[in-house]
Amino acid sequence: MSGYPPVSPRPELPEEFKFLCMLHNVGAINAERSLAVEEIAKWTDKELSTILEHLRKLKELGYVHFVNRDGADKYHVSVMGIRKVLTLYS
Amino acid sequence: MKICLLSWEFPPRIVGGIARHVFGLAKTLAKDGNDVGVVTLDFPGTPDYEEVEGFKVYRSKTEVGHPNFLTWTFLFNHFLEKRLAAANREIDFDLIHIHDWLVAPAGIGFKHFLNKPLVCTMHSTEHGRSSLHDPSSYTIDGMEWWACYEPARVIVTSNSMKGEVCGHFHVPGEKVDVIPNAIEVEKYDVGVDQWAVRRRFGVGDNEKMVLYVGRLVPQKGVEYLIRAVPRISWRFPEVKFIVVGEGWMKGHLEWLADQSEQRWRINFTGFISDNDLVALTKGADVMVVPSVYEPFGIVALEGMAAGVPVVASQVGGLAEVVEHDKTGVHVYPRSLDSIAWGIERVLSDKGYRDWLVKNAYETVKSRFSWKAVAKQTVDVYKRVLGER
Repeated sequence: MSGYPPVSPRPELPEEFKFLCMLHNVGAINAERSLAVEEIAKWTDKELSTILEHLRKLKELGYVHFVNRDGADKYHVSVMGIRKVLTLYS
Repeated sequence: MKICLLSWEFPPRIVGGIARHVFGLAKTLAKDGNDVGVVTLDFPGTPDYEEVEGFKVYRSKTEVGHPNFLTWTFLFNHFLEKRLAAANREIDFDLIHIHDWLVAPAGIGFKHFLNKPLVCTMHSTEHGRSSLHDPSSYTIDGMEWWACYEPARVIVTSNSMKGEVCGHFHVPGEKVDVIPNAIEVEKYDVGVDQWAVRRRFGVGDNEKMVLYVGRLVPQKGVEYLIRAVPRISWRFPEVKFIVVGEGWMKGHLEWLADQSEQRWRINFTGFISDNDLVALTKGADVMVVPSVYEPFGIVALEGMAAGVPVVASQVGGLAEVVEHDKTGVHVYPRSLDSIAWGIERVLSDKGYRDWLVKNAYETVKSRFSWKAVAKQTVDVYKRVLGER
């Protein structure tokens, strides 16, 4: 055992995490400020299919919640998701 | 004295150590008879205004966001500035004390518009956290320089951090005060059923519990602890590891744990409540702080206050907080062998462990109490106000 392993390369920020940060930074941080997929696409300039895939993963992990408002599914970052995002910035 | 503390973190918006630092400082300053207002960002479920422990909390809503992090930062500073102006109409602050670059634009604006003195505590630097690796990082570095240039006094929490601020930002040494972080020791003087908490987090009564608490980000060095797990468990087959905290590296760390074939020993708890954290800390057999960069290391103080032996990297302010072979054990950062050695040193010798714990507790009570730290901070405020 060498004791000093090579420093592992800085792991890349996962794409869905970058997306979570964007969702947080545009202000979708509670049910009242939740956004529809189309609105998120306007903010982030990403394809709808990419957004839906990110949202699916983030919902599974508990970092994003969705609500049905005005007849549409809308998404916002959960409290756990906010904490996750803020770890990057502190 | 009428004091404004400006911070982007404040409970329950807890990210790193700043939230707890600002809370402890505000509470003690208020207890000592000062009129204290904390201006901070909102968090789901919190009121715009509340009075807590004798001080006032003003929360600002960021009404307009932007996907870019830096743009978002400047936007929330604008809204913080508006909230600050409203709070100042009520309290007419004597000075403003900002915490880190994230709130510097609002604090600096306040200084110039109202001709009030500014104090800044630099809790860490971008240069130390992650080196200057992209354009955003250079922007943050510039903002941090500005946050050191504008205030009348700069406070840092360790000599190591003073060296960093003076060396990297060319701040004159005489402008910088070293005031350590503090914790509420009384918080740990509570009776908790440690065994029940251990069981709840998957640690059996006959098992050893190694605890890590902190953000799951590269500078905390938690990956080295996880990579050291096979070496530690070879010596202590009954050991379990509890990793408390959140962070963008969590997926990578879970992958590392899987690679170690010891995944079953490691419990990633995510963010947990304060009560659980106190109970878990009191119930741990050893706390490990394997940071590769640490301007202070408040988590080590928490372990020391809770009566848990601390094994800490010999880096930055952490090496000042924990004294090797007296209040804890130093290990080399990034060294798996050294981390495993430190843990073994503590777990294998009860007499040594008890001696460290006793010394550490006495040190925390005498050097790192909020009473002492608030007094030193007020001395800085008085100096700033006296120089005007």
